[in-house]
Amino acid sequence: MESLHPRIRLLWIAQTAILAAVLGAVLVAVDRWLVPVPTAGLVGIVAVAAVLGIAYAVRLYQIWQFELQGDALYLERGVITFVETAVPFVRVQHVDTQFGPIERTLGLSSVVVYTAGSRNADVRIPGLTPDRARKLQDTLRELAVESEADDAV
Amino acid sequence: MNRLHPFSAVVYALRYGLLWLWVPFFLVTALAGTVAAVSIAWLPVVTALGFLFGAAYGVVYYYRFEYGITPDTFDVASGVVARRSREIPYRRIQNVDVRQGVLQRVLGLAVVTIETAGGGNSEAALRLVSKSEADRLQHQIRRRTAGVDADDSDRSTTEASEDGRPVGDEPLDEQPSRVDGTAEAPPVSETRPRREPTEPSRKRLFALDSRELLLYSLTTLRPAALAAVGFLFFFATDTVLDFLVTLSQPFGGPQDLQTGDTQSYGVLTVVSMVNGIVITYLVSVAYTFATYYDFRLGRVDEDFVYERGLLQRYSGSIPAEKVQSVTITDNPLQRLIDYAGLWVETAGYGPDSSGGSQSAVPMARAAHVHRFAENLTHVETPAFASPSPIARRRYLVRYSLIAAVVVAAALALAQVTPLERWYLAAVVFAAVPPAAHLRYVHLGYYVGEDHLVIRRGFWRRRTTVIPYFRIQTVSTRRSIFQRRLGIASLVVDTASSRTLFWDTPTIYDVDLEDARGVHRTGRKRLQSALRERARADDAGFSVDFT
Repeated sequence: MESLHPRIRLLWIAQTAILAAVLGAVLVAVDRWLVPVPTAGLVGIVAVAAVLGIAYAVRLYQIWQFELQGDALYLERGVITFVETAVPFVRVQHVDTQFGPIERTLGLSSVVVYTAGSRNADVRIPGLTPDRARKLQDTLRELAVESEADDAV
Repeated sequence: MNRLHPFSAVVYALRYGLLWLWVPFFLVTALAGTVAAVSIAWLPVVTALGFLFGAAYGVVYYYRFEYGITPDTFDVASGVVARRSREIPYRRIQNVDVRQGVLQRVLGLAVVTIETAGGGNSEAALRLVSKSEADRLQHQIRRRTAGVDADDSDRSTTEASEDGRPVGDEPLDEQPSRVDGTAEAPPVSETRPRREPTEPSRKRLFALDSRELLLYSLTTLRPAALAAVGFLFFFATDTVLDFLVTLSQPFGGPQDLQTGDTQSYGVLTVVSMVNGIVITYLVSVAYTFATYYDFRLGRVDEDFVYERGLLQRYSGSIPAEKVQSVTITDNPLQRLIDYAGLWVETAGYGPDSSGGSQSAVPMARAAHVHRFAENLTHVETPAFASPSPIARRRYLVRYSLIAAVVVAAALALAQVTPLERWYLAAVVFAAVPPAAHLRYVHLGYYVGEDHLVIRRGFWRRRTTVIPYFRIQTVSTRRSIFQRRLGIASLVVDTASSRTLFWDTPTIYDVDLEDARGVHRTGRKRLQSALRERARADDAGFSVDFT
């Protein structure tokens, strides 16, 4: 099983920081215009949110794994709900590599695998180096073409 | 390239006219208050101009809208300023629907929509063509879709064999045999790759008789009815309130909303609730009746074709090879009288809110529906396995928590209103054990030779038959609580369209080992089924299932 790049933790922590900042801003707004919120409480809530977020990011990194198996792409992920997904190569419709602004700063990419399914119609593998992402995209594409089924929807 | 029916020009002119007359209306109304040079007296003139502009746009839209049938694609070119031309390959078309409203039926017109698997709505909508043109299009597209598929399948030609089993192991030169005796279309063969366009005859598979229609209307509750009644209440609140007050007076309701004591208000509440339920139920019955009036399902070649509707007439076709899964639905009432319904799911989007689900048999005796499902999918009679007994305990805890929330809400309500004896709300706890038990006993799954059968739900129980070769992804999910109990849920995803009311088939709360086992089996059989299908070219579904 392959793990994600360790830097992905930074990405998730950055996302948490943004969320915590938004939460803080909302609380400040509430304090200003609605009901007074004690400063200690405000800082406490934001700090707890940030700590939870960081713990979540670290744990998620420990759990996240994926593997190219004989017939399918296999993924394990999830802190609250642990999900093991198999995406058979025959079912791959197309494969994207994507990166957002934070990901780009950290030098990371995501591979997004699309299927025709209705749920989890796109499976996202975050936290790959651009090289690894491109290689994975190529491999998946080859495997998908190789195992082409003719019952496409 | 063809144009729409000329009457569409009138429809589009009116539609865009009515849309555009508001633009100058609001502009002038807004500007008249702020800019001195603009007068409110201009309103009649500018709205008329807006309407004329819109109407002209509508007429141009009509002239710029073209569609045509080419050998490989169905083409639609539209747009006045920004042009869009779309080519839809026949083999990607999921279903073709024809819809006729009341006025359209009088005028002999229809709306044709073409669905593919992609996107969130119809791929192409031909708003208003004549009924005969609609039928011609439906027929032509169906024939061409079949033609493309016949071209593709030059490996083998066998269709479903006599006993309804896939025919992968039989020699390829065996004489193709059909399930029905009436072989109306010549079987495809290597020497004739493209089917001759013989006029395909339509064979009736199922018709909803009046007794079944009535039973179906009376036993089905539609969320849409609730929405409709809510909508009515929202727009005519005063009228509805007066009406409710008048209705409650014979039972001791208040004279009007302002004067009344606690008791008469109580009577008003109870009577209004009863009225609300009865009216919603009646709307639901009427809606179902009108929607499924004169339902007929037939087959043309390898396609299902259906027709239904009292005021608005729908007709559509579903290629059998596009069917992803088959679902039997029933609710407690229907189970009581031993009836059930059969639905087929495709990846397209149907005319209903139910997404790609189409009712194949809205209502029939449960035994018949089960037989239909078995004939349609070739699934053996399932022997359902129950989820882990721990699951029942889990539901007990879960529903107890919900009951606790209800009691807490009553307590909170008692703090802000003169409500007394909030603790009476604790009676909801009495419902917890039966609810948990009912949820548990209606869960079941069966790992068949070629199919996975998943049953779930009490109020709207669904038994879904998924052929292994239709599986898209499989996921084993375990929440924190499930991990503690050593159980898991298995989500089996197909390409059926997702909707609000049709969840993804899930085997809930089975032992982790069982879930992993089904996960492995599903993956393995998907591969072997695909290999087998590549050899045998079996559609996997028999069109003649009744």
